[in-house]
Amino acid sequence: MQYKDQIVKIAVQVWTIVLLIIPTAYGQEMTGEEIIKKVNEIFNPASSYGRSKMTIVTTSGQKRTFEFESWSKDGGEKNLVRYHKPGRVKDQATLMLNHADDIWMFFPRTQRVRKLATHAKKQKMQGSDFSYEDMGSGDTFITDFTPVRLGDEKMNEKICYKLEMVRKEDSDLSYSRMIMWIIKENFVPVVIDYYDEKDPVRHIKRLVQSNIRLIGSIPTAMRSVMYNRGDNSQTELELLEIKYDLPLSDAMFTERSLKK
Amino acid sequence: MKKFLFIIIINCFNFTSAGAQEGVELFGYFESQVMGTKIGKEFFQLQSNKLRVDLSADLSDNISFAANFDYITYDGKKQWNILEYLSDEITSTVSSEMEDLYVVSFSNRQFLDNAYIKVNFNKFDLTLGKQQISIGTGYTWNPLDVFNTKDVLDPTYEQPGHNALRADIPIGKKLTLNCLYSPDETWNSSGKMVQVKGGVSHFDFTVTAIEILWSFHDYTQFDTEKSSFRLVPEKRHVIGGSTVGELLGMGVWAEYGYNDMQMTDNYYELAAGADYTFDSQTYIMAEFYRNTLGKTDHKNYSLNDWMRQFTSEQKTITRDQVYFLMRHPVTDLLDLGTSGILSLSDKSFALIPTLNYSFSDNMEIMAYLNLNIGRNGKAYSEESGNGGQIRVRVYF
Repeated sequence: MQYKDQIVKIAVQVWTIVLLIIPTAYGQEMTGEEIIKKVNEIFNPASSYGRSKMTIVTTSGQKRTFEFESWSKDGGEKNLVRYHKPGRVKDQATLMLNHADDIWMFFPRTQRVRKLATHAKKQKMQGSDFSYEDMGSGDTFITDFTPVRLGDEKMNEKICYKLEMVRKEDSDLSYSRMIMWIIKENFVPVVIDYYDEKDPVRHIKRLVQSNIRLIGSIPTAMRSVMYNRGDNSQTELELLEIKYDLPLSDAMFTERSLKK
Repeated sequence: MKKFLFIIIINCFNFTSAGAQEGVELFGYFESQVMGTKIGKEFFQLQSNKLRVDLSADLSDNISFAANFDYITYDGKKQWNILEYLSDEITSTVSSEMEDLYVVSFSNRQFLDNAYIKVNFNKFDLTLGKQQISIGTGYTWNPLDVFNTKDVLDPTYEQPGHNALRADIPIGKKLTLNCLYSPDETWNSSGKMVQVKGGVSHFDFTVTAIEILWSFHDYTQFDTEKSSFRLVPEKRHVIGGSTVGELLGMGVWAEYGYNDMQMTDNYYELAAGADYTFDSQTYIMAEFYRNTLGKTDHKNYSLNDWMRQFTSEQKTITRDQVYFLMRHPVTDLLDLGTSGILSLSDKSFALIPTLNYSFSDNMEIMAYLNLNIGRNGKAYSEESGNGGQIRVRVYF
């Protein structure tokens, strides 16, 4: 009996060591592509519903607060955002399809739907430091950037993979490159630095994510702050509610649904 | 038995009220604006206050109701005689006893602007009641919109509601059929529209057919029996289409409508535009508009042309025009811009510098100047007044 116990004890110890070693070894071997694929899975779940509060702190220190609901499907390929507050933008809605290559906006005051061209992706979303591209660009981390793995670093008290994302030549996205610090244990980017479209040395924005919670099986940053270095403004995005893997129909991502 | 019925009725009433109150949303805005214009050596002002109360309710998962009530008051110069802004050549044709008939009055008013029920069936949506009808892709002009005429100085302002029954029927994944019936006295005089909407690549398109009775007035003849200018209604058939998409990195759109008229000459309208946002967030846009109902030579502008334009019966007096807009967010809260309208036909021009400031979450200030730079008798002439407008709007 004692002999049996000893075997079990040794087996448990070996298994624990294996569990500790394998991820570390695996992590060390992970390429930039593999890491960004993991990040992309977290950023773009199969489907999601969220209720968010967005607070803009302007250059002059004034605050503007928005509340909206958002739905996404097909790994972020389809997105719908509907504003509830403030009254000025109540029921305004934005539909983004094909990773925000097609954008429609609904203005309830005039009951008009306007299709925006891709240049509109550069525009600030409700004057915030997030552009439409930042909000609905889906899997562009994979399709539009080439990841280069830099040395691991500690960022905001977390051990992180550090990746440089270099924009591909045929991409028309607004950032020439990005530097990402990705938490090793959950693949959530804790910091992303964005660089100017034409000047890859000019650091224009920084996204900082925090308050990471496990929602279902997906680690989710409940708070994201975009710091705009050029304008000296910032926008905080707080997730008030989030649900993943919901049965959302394609009909939800149509002009008909936009007007509802 | 009576007592029993009374209790049931009271309970039903309580139940309905509670349910309705729970689901009804009340919102809207208050808008105060001052419009001023310099005519000759005098500067005139018209102030208005508008309270718009919207309410909406989801009666069930697929039935909703929305309405809004407008209360508008006016102060200042409430009566404007159109003849004062027209050239002597035009006004000399008007007899002195008719001069007072060309006065436009701004009177306090309150009205139910929109009130409609929307039912979402599995296969289609039905909207019944007084509702805004927005047709076309044009920004300043919409050749296909026979129900509204936009104010070129403020083209994104909300349009009035129209009585209509509208069905939006998706056909497959790519197409939608929109059918609209806007009832008048008879079926024959009612407005009807059939529109097919679709998408190809990054372009959306529509094909549209409309029949409507167009209520023109003859502003040279007064109908004493009806105490108004003589009405000359005419059946109008419009066939056309619109598209919006992207070309060479710019947003592009076009809208065309051919008008087959029952009595007068047929004509067409075309609007085509492009826009772009620079990295600096500066937004530029230009739109060309041709309306062959408009005249190519300003010497041919008649009293009827002017009056129909002032009363929005006709969208324009001049044939070819270009509208442009440039806007830049100077700060997170302040947008400065300028728009302009150039008549290519009579070479007159209006410049409209604009300012938009977000004072707080629910308060915004909008101001624009309206500078007409054109010789007398032209579409945008100095004699029609130079001025501007300040609008403060608070949302609740």
